[in-house]
Amino acid sequence: MYDIWLALNILFELFLGYLPLVAAIVVAWLVLMAIAFGRGRPGWRRGLGPALMLALLVAIAAFLAIPSLTKSSLSEMGYWVDWANLIAIALGFGGVALALAWPLFATLRRRFR
Amino acid sequence: MTDPHSRRHTQQAFDPDRRRLLFGATVLPLAAGAGLALAPRRASAALKTSARIVIAGSGLGGIATANRLSRELDGAKITIVDRKEMHNYQPGYTLVATGIWPVEKVVDRNADLHPSGIEWVREMVAEFDPDGNAVVTDSGRRIEYDFLVVATGLHLDYAQIEGMDVDAIGSNGLASVYPSHLAAQATWQAMDAFRAKGGEALMTLPATPLKCAGAPLKMTFMLVDRLREAGTRSASRVEFHSALGNVFSVERINQDVLERWEALDVPVTFNSKLVAIDIGARRASFTSPEGERTELGYDFIHVVPPMRAPDVVKNSPLPWQEGGFAAGGWLEVDKETLRHRRYPNVFGLGDINGTPRGKTAATVKKSAPIVTRNLVDVIAGKEPAERFDGYTSCPLLLREGSALLVEFDYEGRLTPSLPMIDPLQDSYFAWLMKYRLLKPAYIAVAKGRV
Repeated sequence: MYDIWLALNILFELFLGYLPLVAAIVVAWLVLMAIAFGRGRPGWRRGLGPALMLALLVAIAAFLAIPSLTKSSLSEMGYWVDWANLIAIALGFGGVALALAWPLFATLRRRFR
Repeated sequence: MTDPHSRRHTQQAFDPDRRRLLFGATVLPLAAGAGLALAPRRASAALKTSARIVIAGSGLGGIATANRLSRELDGAKITIVDRKEMHNYQPGYTLVATGIWPVEKVVDRNADLHPSGIEWVREMVAEFDPDGNAVVTDSGRRIEYDFLVVATGLHLDYAQIEGMDVDAIGSNGLASVYPSHLAAQATWQAMDAFRAKGGEALMTLPATPLKCAGAPLKMTFMLVDRLREAGTRSASRVEFHSALGNVFSVERINQDVLERWEALDVPVTFNSKLVAIDIGARRASFTSPEGERTELGYDFIHVVPPMRAPDVVKNSPLPWQEGGFAAGGWLEVDKETLRHRRYPNVFGLGDINGTPRGKTAATVKKSAPIVTRNLVDVIAGKEPAERFDGYTSCPLLLREGSALLVEFDYEGRLTPSLPMIDPLQDSYFAWLMKYRLLKPAYIAVAKGRV
C-alpha cells in the first residue's frame, strides 16, 4: 500500500511540474468531447478503430523515444522490470492519445439526423 | 426496424442536460478526489496540545517533520530555526556534477515547502541547552521548548585536508560534489575540461560516516563513462583511494562495485587517506594507517571531505559521550525510536543522527514519519511505538542511462521495496528513478505526504 501511495504522490508532483501541459491536454479533451456531443450523433464505434490505431502508433513512438528522451537507450534495458516499466509508460502515452483521438474521430464520423 | 444501439444513442442525443450532468458527476468527483486525497490536511484525529516544539534545521528532515506535526497536532506552537531561504535538492548534485542535469533543477525555495501556521526564525541555532529546554540563536535570542527535533544536517570538514579551498572547486582539476549546488556545477566544469584531454584522475573516500555514501562511487563510474564518451578513456588513469578497507559499507554492494571497477580498470588503494592538497601544483598527499605518506600528481581530483556533526551539536551536551559516534559529535539517539537517549524530549532526524549507515534522503523519507509518530506519542504521555529499521537507498549511477537501485537497512541487509527489483542488476528503471522520479518523491516527503 505504501508503495502505491508513493507512486501516486510521484505522479501528483509530476503532474504539478507539467501543469500547463496537463491543463492544455485536459482543455483539448474537453473541447473535443464538447464538439463530439455538440451536434449530431458521434460515431463512437466507427471512430474507435482509427483512434486505437493512432494510440498504438503513439505508444510505439513513445516506446522507442522515451529511453533517449531520458538520456538512456533501449540497449540499457537490463531485465524484465525495465521492459515492463517502459511498456507501461508507453501505454500511458497511448492512453492519452486514445483519449484525445477517440472523440476526434467520433466527431469526424458522426451522423446527422 | 430500429437498432437498439441506435435507439440508445438517439435518446442520449436528445438529452444534452442529462449528458452534461452524467459527465460532471463522473469526472468532477474523480478530479476533486485526486486533488483532495493528495492535498495537505489536518489529521482527523489531531492531538490537541499547547506544546512548544522547536525544529533545528530546515533541510528535508526538518521540513518534513514540520509538515507532519502541523497536521498531527492541534494547537502546538511549532518553530523552525534556520536561516536558509534556498532549499537544495542534494540528491541531484551528482546529476549536476556529471553534466546530466542543469543546476536549476536542484534549487528550490524553503518558503514553498514550509507548512502554514508555523513560526520560521530566520537565524541559526548557536547553542543547544537541553538542560534548560532551550536553544539560543546566533543573534542571542533564547527560544524555549517543550520538545526539540534536531535536524541540523552535518558539517563537511574540508579543514581536515591541508591546503583545501572549497572556493577553488572547478579550477585546476579540483572537483567536489558535496558543498553546494554551485560546487556541483563547478565540478562538472572541471570534469568536462578533464575529459577533453584525459590524464590522471584521483577519486577519494574519507574514513568518517558520509552523507550519500554512494556519491563518491557514482562520481567514479560517471567519470569513467564521460571519458569513454569523449574517447579519452585509453589516455586516462582513474584511481580510487579509500581511507577504509572497503568502498561501501554493505558487503554485497562493495564486492559488486569492486568487480565492476576491475572490469573498468579502476584500481583501488585501500587505507589511503587524503590529508593534503596543493591545488596550484595539482598534487595530493595520502597517508596510510601506519603514517606512511605518499604524494601523487593528478589532472583531476574528486575530494570527498571527512564529515562530522556541526560544532553547535558537537560542542553541546547532545552528542554521544563514548563509542564510535563520539569522535564525530553525532547525536546520541536510540537507533530505533530516534529519541535522544538522555534527553527524552529530544528527537533526532537525518544526517546528524549517530546511527549506523543511512545519511540519505531515503533515510529521511522512512524516518520522518517515525520521528513524528513517536514525538506525538511522547506528547500524549505514551512511550514511542514506532521503530526504525535503518532503511536507506542509493540509486547508484553506473553510466549515463543505467543505474543500480540499492536499498538496505541498519544490518546491511538488502531490502528492495518491491520484490522484483534486483539490486545488483544494471537497470534503466533505476536510472529513470534517479533521473525523473525521485525528485517528485522528495518533494512529497518534504510536504509530509509520504
